[in-house]
Amino acid sequence: MLQDYLFPETISEAVSFLKSNEGQARIIAGGTDLLLDIPEGKIKTSCLVDITRIPELSKITLEDGVISIGAAVTHNQAANSELIQEKAAALAQAASCVGSYQIRNSATVIGNVCNAQPAADTAVALVALGAVAEIANPGGTEYVPVEKMYAGVGKSTIDSASQLVTRVSFPAAQKKQGTAFVRLHQRKALALPMLNVAAMVALEGGKFLWARIAMAPVGPGPVRALSAEEILKGAEVTPEVIEKAAQSALEQANPRSSALRGSKEYRTSVLPVLVRRALEQAVANAGSSCK
Amino acid sequence: MKEYNVVGHSVRRLDAVEKATGTAGFTSDMKLPGMLYAKVLRSPYAHARILSIDTSEAEKLPGVKAVATHKNTPRELFNTSATMTFTVPPMVPVLDQYIFDNVVRYVGDEVAAVAAVTEKIAEAALKLIKVEYELLPAVFDPLEAMTPEAPVIHESHKKNIPGGEVIQIPYGDAEKGFAESDLIIEKTFKVPVQKQAQMETQAAVAQVGLDGKITVWSTTQTPHPTKMILAKIFSVPESKIRVLNPPYIGGGFGVRIGLSAKAEPIAVALSMLAKKPVKIVYTRKEDFIASDTRHAGYVTVKLGAKKDGAFHAMYLKAILNGGAYCSFSCETPGVLGCMGMAVYRIPNQFYYGHSVYTNTTPSGAMRGFGNPQAMYPIESVVDMMAEQLGMDPLELRLKNIMQVGDPWPLPYKCSSTGLAECIAKGARSIGWEKRGKLNKPGAKKLRGIGMGVGTHCSNAWPWCGDYDNAYITVQQDGSIHLATGVPDMGTGTSTSLPQIAAEVMGVGLDKVSITFADSASTPFTIGSHASRTLYAAGTAVVEAARDARKQVLEYAGEFLKVAPERLELKDSVIYVTGQAVGNDCSGSGVCQTGESERKSISLKELAYNAHLRNKQFIGVGRIVPDNAPPWHAHFAEVEVDTELGQIRVIKVAAVHDVGKAVNPMIVEGQIEGGVLMGIGYALSEEIKYDEKGKQLHDSFHKYMLATADDTPEIDVMIVESNDPTGPFGAKGVGETGLVPTAAAIANAVYDATGIRFTEIPLTEERVFRALAENRK
Amino acid sequence: MSSKILKFTLNGEPVEIAVSPEDMLVDVLRDKLELTGTKKGCGKGECGACTIIMDGEAVNSCLVPAMKAMSASVETIEGIGGPGKFHPVQETFMDLGAIQCGFCTPGMIMSSKALLDKTTSPTSQEIKKALAGNICRCTGYVKIEEAVMAAAEKMREKQ
Ligand code: FES
Ligand code: FES
Repeated sequence: MLQDYLFPETISEAVSFLKSNEGQARIIAGGTDLLLDIPEGKIKTSCLVDITRIPELSKITLEDGVISIGAAVTHNQAANSELIQEKAAALAQAASCVGSYQIRNSATVIGNVCNAQPAADTAVALVALGAVAEIANPGGTEYVPVEKMYAGVGKSTIDSASQLVTRVSFPAAQKKQGTAFVRLHQRKALALPMLNVAAMVALEGGKFLWARIAMAPVGPGPVRALSAEEILKGAEVTPEVIEKAAQSALEQANPRSSALRGSKEYRTSVLPVLVRRALEQAVANAGSSCK
Repeated sequence: MKEYNVVGHSVRRLDAVEKATGTAGFTSDMKLPGMLYAKVLRSPYAHARILSIDTSEAEKLPGVKAVATHKNTPRELFNTSATMTFTVPPMVPVLDQYIFDNVVRYVGDEVAAVAAVTEKIAEAALKLIKVEYELLPAVFDPLEAMTPEAPVIHESHKKNIPGGEVIQIPYGDAEKGFAESDLIIEKTFKVPVQKQAQMETQAAVAQVGLDGKITVWSTTQTPHPTKMILAKIFSVPESKIRVLNPPYIGGGFGVRIGLSAKAEPIAVALSMLAKKPVKIVYTRKEDFIASDTRHAGYVTVKLGAKKDGAFHAMYLKAILNGGAYCSFSCETPGVLGCMGMAVYRIPNQFYYGHSVYTNTTPSGAMRGFGNPQAMYPIESVVDMMAEQLGMDPLELRLKNIMQVGDPWPLPYKCSSTGLAECIAKGARSIGWEKRGKLNKPGAKKLRGIGMGVGTHCSNAWPWCGDYDNAYITVQQDGSIHLATGVPDMGTGTSTSLPQIAAEVMGVGLDKVSITFADSASTPFTIGSHASRTLYAAGTAVVEAARDARKQVLEYAGEFLKVAPERLELKDSVIYVTGQAVGNDCSGSGVCQTGESERKSISLKELAYNAHLRNKQFIGVGRIVPDNAPPWHAHFAEVEVDTELGQIRVIKVAAVHDVGKAVNPMIVEGQIEGGVLMGIGYALSEEIKYDEKGKQLHDSFHKYMLATADDTPEIDVMIVESNDPTGPFGAKGVGETGLVPTAAAIANAVYDATGIRFTEIPLTEERVFRALAENRK
Repeated sequence: MSSKILKFTLNGEPVEIAVSPEDMLVDVLRDKLELTGTKKGCGKGECGACTIIMDGEAVNSCLVPAMKAMSASVETIEGIGGPGKFHPVQETFMDLGAIQCGFCTPGMIMSSKALLDKTTSPTSQEIKKALAGNICRCTGYVKIEEAVMAAAEKMREKQ
């Protein structure tokens, strides 16, 4: 039963609250998922440690070409940030798809990642952006790529009863780099994705220098389309190449059948279309158009 | 066209201020002194017998005041729908439900209920109730449920057909008609479970007085019939039960015609046990799984036509999934058939239809009441026929649609129709001429245009009894009080009925106030449903107002010493018309000598004068309504993303012949909401079940009704055919917005893709599969 | 159950009330403070009927732990206007037929107000996005969108 609700003022205070409660306390940010899980008994905790009033966690910063998003930054703040829109369009798009306007005002980007739902929109974007999370542990700070934060379906490697993700960081898109996010859903709000794909590409002289593609829900968490990335590396930017890469995305994808959001067959059939569209958009955003 | 002072004007709703400020009263907002909160234990199984039930631990939990099960509540069979109160002999209502039974028949069926001092305690107490179940075989599809091997869901209803009632409507000679037809097309369609998903969940507050009087505030659409149902269940005289809305309801769409699922009887039963007021508010999940849905099922259309396009024969068949209890399962197939047979002049027709019990959530009334299930298939087949005939589907419809006075299978007349005008206007709005020219070769996104038409009823007769009453009292200051029993679920009748009263009484709308939806302070009405409220209750209001007006004028005649026929009542003033010439009065055949000097008197002065002489003007309206067909044509433009199978509706043009729009703004709102619900029916709304009978779509998050961001352009236009039977010419409109919407969309999708879908909703996966299949 | 003292500003007035850390803001508003204008249509963040404005942002009060309102400024439908001084959104909702059953209305008006507090020249797309979390089963959203547009215009005129 929930007994206490705390507002730490610093990160270290938050971590020490967790420590002094010996696993009985838990981090809360927006709380939009957590507060559904607690009444259903999926999560048991006696104390919530609300980190949204720690000033440094509310920031979106750009330093030395690296963008950082604090743990208290909401989806709407990320989606409406000019910096994110310009230098990490995929994340802005992903953040603007989650839940509804009200949810996006409460729910945080990092909370979305920590909740570890297989198709968490911002997690998919962050993986494509190559994001790394900064984690405050009782013993010190640790850095983990967002891609490695999934321990299984709906399971995060983060233990919110003892750890706190303070921010995620990723390189801002540079010249001739572009990012994009596409999502297949049954309606435009209040719906989980049937599939979502994020891509980041770097172009040079009509060729792909490299590409990073994340897709979901085709595994426990966002899955990298490694074969596609391999095909794109050094290849000409042509519709044929993109199509070939899009098809090969299936090699890493293992979608499950969902009674609510599409069968395995359907998801498998349309995944390449989404990968292709994400790549086309990312290329367009990189300032080059695909001939 | 006649201009009125109040009728025909888009005045602001009378409930607008309360609703815009959050002060409007809803059942779910109510709080009474000492009130307890109820929670219901529901079956996790689709079909099971309760072997034992132990509530002792729950009763011991501090704060728990009563636990109700089948052991301590009335064993009186009922039907949650109002049908049990107005089914006319020789038909008999199907009574197949108890508040709690020792058999559960669908996932969500009621097992027990707890009343406690807080919702949380009630919830905790549910977990302490121990129930031992014996699982029984279950069946979920109506066709399977009709097979001899299927489990019997209600012992007394063999073959799982509620009441054994199969509806057959012969008209002309269908067999001969088909033999004489040049072209015959037959197709079977599958339609889904749609949910009303009204915003306020089922709710009731019951208070049982020490004198045995029972008051129930609830979300019902029919306070008077609900009072009758409760009186039967609890064996209490109807005069001792008062059922009312407080006075608003957060939407209805048919889901609470009769009881609000079981909210009322559960609240009353617990209140009797606990001797305290009890409130129950269904959770959204309960509302989804344990409250009536639209009937899913299979509908077959066989249409025969002559070479020139004249429809000559139709066979219509519907097998509907009634779910675990009857509710409106006997009436829905009837309306489906009647409405399907009434749109076109087809001399030879036959309809066969019935519902089937299955172990799913009961199906009941939902906006359209069988009509959308008829029109999506029929209008699809009409389009197929047009293609076969090489005719424009619009022209084919114009050629065949019902005209005023045409013979038809219904026991009332086709008294008016503006359908041809609806079709013309809608075609212009959508750009019908663009049809077939929208796509470039090789395009991955394909556009298409389609149409659908339909009719509906304006009240519940002949499917059940229908009558209405209203009374009007002229207050001592000349203001008007109207009392009518019909609820306003949001449809605006608590504004449009006063508009009618004001018009007839010759007063401004600001002088009229209304009491509604209360079985104790209003006369009997069968309630708000069947698109009847404005039409039927409105007719009663007209009658009551005429009666009051007559009394006013008679009294004024005495006062002004002039024949009442020479008096006019306008803007709350009674004045003399025409001039007296000798003993003759021009303008009326009746004359009276010795006119007073005064030529007018205000209603205010007159009413007070009457009051001082011990008289009040009380108008009574007691009517049995006729019935009249509203008409509508919908046109849709869609875009199909052929790579994903996704359909985007670009625009719907919805043109409705409503007879007369008493408040055009309210009428438009009814249609707009209906259209969006119809788009949902066509594209995305569905409750599916898993193999154990558990509802998969049990929340707003899972159930795909449209949000603001999914809403296309909706162009609503009104056509007024001034029906001779309706008040000021009005006909029903509450349900019509979604009758032909799915048909228009499915026809547009065909136009875009060349694929004829025989199953809705047209989800991305269904469309994708069909497109892939088509490419082979 | 441990109770905490929650202090916040509600519709411009300071409020102090004992709550449990488990309480949701919607229940504190409706049950303890008897402000039932804020509706509960799902209790799970899926309908927007419970929308309030907290520190300038529209949020679902059914997903906000009451304690999160500590020191915050909360606006509910009861606080934004009434007879004699209606908020422009209330006025246009009433005049343009954007209200039917009225159950979604308070939340819908709060979402609209939050949007118009940020911009008085919203595009149709912005309105749709801002209101997509508010389910309305009655209106088809047509007149609601029109009302928000009209309210924006009224507010621009006043500026
Ligand atoms: S009640 Fe809060 S979103 Fe539905
Ligand atoms: S007006 Fe009824 S839900 Fe919006």
